[in-house]
Amino acid sequence: MSLSTLALPLSLLTDPALKLAESETPEVAEAAAEMGELTSGTNLINELLMLAPIPDFVPGWAIPLTAIMIGVAIVMGVVSLNAMAGTWLERKVSGHIQCRYGPMRAGWHGFLQPLADGIKLMLKEDMIPIGSDRVLFVMAPALVLASVLGALAVMPLSPDFFFADAPMGLFLILALTSTTTIGVIMAGWASNSKWSVYGAMREAAQVVAYEVPLGISLLVPLIVAGTFSLTEVSEMQSGMFGIGGWLIFKNPFMFPALILFFIAVLAESKRAPFDLPESESELVSGFLTEYSGIRWSFFFMEEYAAMFLYCVVTAFFFLGGFNSPLTWLFEDGGLLPNVILWNVAAFFTIVVKGYIGLFVMMWVRWTLPRLRIDQVMTMGYKYLTPISLVCVLGAGIWEWGKAALLG
Amino acid sequence: MDQERTATVTEPKESAVLPDGSKEFVVDVHTEDMELNMGPQHPATHGVMRILLRVDGELVTGAQPHLGYLHRCAEKIGENVEWLQYLPYTDRYDYLAAMNNNLGYSMAVEKLLGIEIPRRAEMLRIICAELNRIGSHLIAFGTYGLDLGAFTPFLYTFREREWMMSLFEKICGARLTYSYIRIGGVFNDTPPGWLGEVSRFCDTFLVKWQEYYDLVVENQIFIGRTADVGVIPREMAMDFGLTGPMLRGSGIDFDLRRDMPYSLYGEVDKAGALNIPVARGEKGSLGDCWDRVWVRTMEMKESIEIVRWCLDNIEAGPVIGELPKTLRVPAGEAYVGIENPRGELGHYVVSDGGKVAVRCRVRGPSFCNLPVLEEIMLGTLLADSVAIIGSTDVVVGETDR
Amino acid sequence: MDFTGICDRLKAIGAPGILGVDEPREKNPEDKKDLGRAGDSFVLVDPEELEGFLRFCRDDTELQFELLCDLTATDPGNDDEELWLNYNLLSIAHKHRLAVKAKISKENSNAPSVADVYRAAQWHEREAAEMFGITYRNHPDPRHILLPDDWIGYPLRKDYEYPKEYRGISCE
Repeated sequence: MSLSTLALPLSLLTDPALKLAESETPEVAEAAAEMGELTSGTNLINELLMLAPIPDFVPGWAIPLTAIMIGVAIVMGVVSLNAMAGTWLERKVSGHIQCRYGPMRAGWHGFLQPLADGIKLMLKEDMIPIGSDRVLFVMAPALVLASVLGALAVMPLSPDFFFADAPMGLFLILALTSTTTIGVIMAGWASNSKWSVYGAMREAAQVVAYEVPLGISLLVPLIVAGTFSLTEVSEMQSGMFGIGGWLIFKNPFMFPALILFFIAVLAESKRAPFDLPESESELVSGFLTEYSGIRWSFFFMEEYAAMFLYCVVTAFFFLGGFNSPLTWLFEDGGLLPNVILWNVAAFFTIVVKGYIGLFVMMWVRWTLPRLRIDQVMTMGYKYLTPISLVCVLGAGIWEWGKAALLG
Repeated sequence: MDQERTATVTEPKESAVLPDGSKEFVVDVHTEDMELNMGPQHPATHGVMRILLRVDGELVTGAQPHLGYLHRCAEKIGENVEWLQYLPYTDRYDYLAAMNNNLGYSMAVEKLLGIEIPRRAEMLRIICAELNRIGSHLIAFGTYGLDLGAFTPFLYTFREREWMMSLFEKICGARLTYSYIRIGGVFNDTPPGWLGEVSRFCDTFLVKWQEYYDLVVENQIFIGRTADVGVIPREMAMDFGLTGPMLRGSGIDFDLRRDMPYSLYGEVDKAGALNIPVARGEKGSLGDCWDRVWVRTMEMKESIEIVRWCLDNIEAGPVIGELPKTLRVPAGEAYVGIENPRGELGHYVVSDGGKVAVRCRVRGPSFCNLPVLEEIMLGTLLADSVAIIGSTDVVVGETDR
Repeated sequence: MDFTGICDRLKAIGAPGILGVDEPREKNPEDKKDLGRAGDSFVLVDPEELEGFLRFCRDDTELQFELLCDLTATDPGNDDEELWLNYNLLSIAHKHRLAVKAKISKENSNAPSVADVYRAAQWHEREAAEMFGITYRNHPDPRHILLPDDWIGYPLRKDYEYPKEYRGISCE
């Protein structure tokens, strides 16, 4: 985990550094090229900035730096927009599942409700309980949000638009999202509330238990695809009307792996029926009990961002990535080849796939009761882990057999 | 943090020096149980009840309910207001089953008065009491889902309860504290078309009931959370004086409506419309949380049958007997227990022949069903304790009165 | 079994401490002060023998009062020297009830706890104790239950005076 955490700033830096290196000394260029091996691909923002007419007094390093800043701003924007869309969707989905409308007043079908909520949360009194560990209490939401922001940086928004195309993208995402646990434990401990500590401890136990099946079930698509890179795995799944190439159809063990992965994702992102860390009827609100205002909303943003990210990962490694009939239409050799439209279609495809995953998560949440902690542990260790191992074994044998038979 | 963790390194007295010359140290990590206040403001305590838990990690090693946060001196008020004036106060102790409370108090006073109730009034009483039982069980069912983390059944049940409440609103003008059943009969005759709407409610409810049953009671996660949790064996149930669904949840076939019939329940029973559900321990040991929830769920269905019987047999007639404006109740004492949604609601009234009661004791089923928590919560997990509190279905207004 | 049957059975098995039986009766038309009595019949028991009496009621196969339905006390009035202790028993097996009453003096309001016989009595006794100032001997957990621990006076006694203030909060 520590290695990949280090890899984040590197991967953010490499591409700009590469451009920078071209005009610098050979040593730097060499180092940059080395780093470039870590991340392949291009940074579109940087390239666009290079195209712009730049006055002479602007130093060379300013351009990649600006590109990084713009990239960070875009990721922040994605996270906040996603949280807004997520809360809106959650309310509407829960509302319609529960025979009511959900928010209807602010804007069309309550579309502006998240905005109103955001304003409310920002204006709320920022409370830090007496006796809490102030430093940890303040740091926890920041850490939680930072880890998911870092993970999102690896997520490509379209085949040609991404911030950091790390060859170990998936590994990075898994590593970074699991660091949110540290933030949650910090929050629980710092709150000086027994309920919060319970929430933190449950989170720790749960994440440790489900990290294993999560990783192992992802080995199945990795065996089939043979790459960690999100863009590469997406390219691999193109063709056949944008559907037939999906990884899930390439190996019989992909489907059970998808189910296992999705269950583990539910547990990792603290969603019902695994929402034990914040189970509102037992632990009041778990680790969130003492948080209010904008700090509380950071946790919320993290939750929705992580959910979305996991759903996107599911889409990339199981359900075709950028490929859909729409992208098939616009891709090279398709009916209407057009690079820009292809990218736009790919962006919409991945967003729609992510939100379909999000919808399923909400559907599950508003239908099922919560499990008990011992049942969660039993399920993780005794069932999901062995089954996912069997899946990996089966997938490996299948691929080996396929290679042996078909050459 | 209350939890003290002290690690003391002590030198053992004997065999302090090991053969190789090094000293042996024993690290004695001393841990203590944590005291955890569940309530008075806690989502799972269904009101303002406080349970002092001793917990060892997730394991509950001690539970002590603390009551009295909602004590409103109902019994003292009963000794200070006139007989008829006390009726609205009865609405307030078990505010989810106000009709049943009205019925219990009215019947106790009527027993002292020795008066006859018009037949139509008795029918309306049963209809209202059973509808209110359905409403009360709907809340118990819905909030139990909430306790276990299923939010949606709660809103479904509230949809049906809303209909039930609007039915009551049409008949008496109030939605929660009805005071509809009065001493001597009921307050008013039904508005036109009301009985027809009740009949429609019954038809719709049975369809919805099946949905709830499939969604919650037969849900595998729900069964996993409730089966074999909080088991109350038969002997314990009787020793603790449990009544109502708690008693039937432990497999004891006893219902006041059938076994000590009051009002017209004897006739209902003879007509075969009174089938009391008794738990059989289908999903786990007999007397667990699932059994209690199952009993409540089945009782809703059974109540619909009773209401239907009443709708079929109700005749026109007066709904309240003649009573003087200032009621003077003959001297004496009477205890009347009726089957409330939560158990036996007992009213013990003592009169000295005057305008006010000498004693107006309320035996609230929630109060009597609660002490068993001290026993069955031991050795369960924290999440189980929430499930157990929910399965006792307490209404704090009644425990504290 | 009806009330007479229960009384006969109680006498037959020699239940301890029965002082008498009280049944409702009509008003005597000649005596104007007589109000008659309405309501339930009950058995009057010596308070010192309560525990044994209830144990008999619970264990006898024909009575089999498994459930203690209600336990409370009554203050009949200021001019009365006695407090009543009311017990209400219920038999699930035989589907009958029995009201039991014992009288203790207000001066020395002492009674044996029956929590050993029926666990259900424990909380009821705590309530009656704080409301009427009755000391239940050998009670396993003699704390206040509904009232705060520092409450002064016994609210359900007829001579109870309402406090002017509680912890600095005016009650008037």
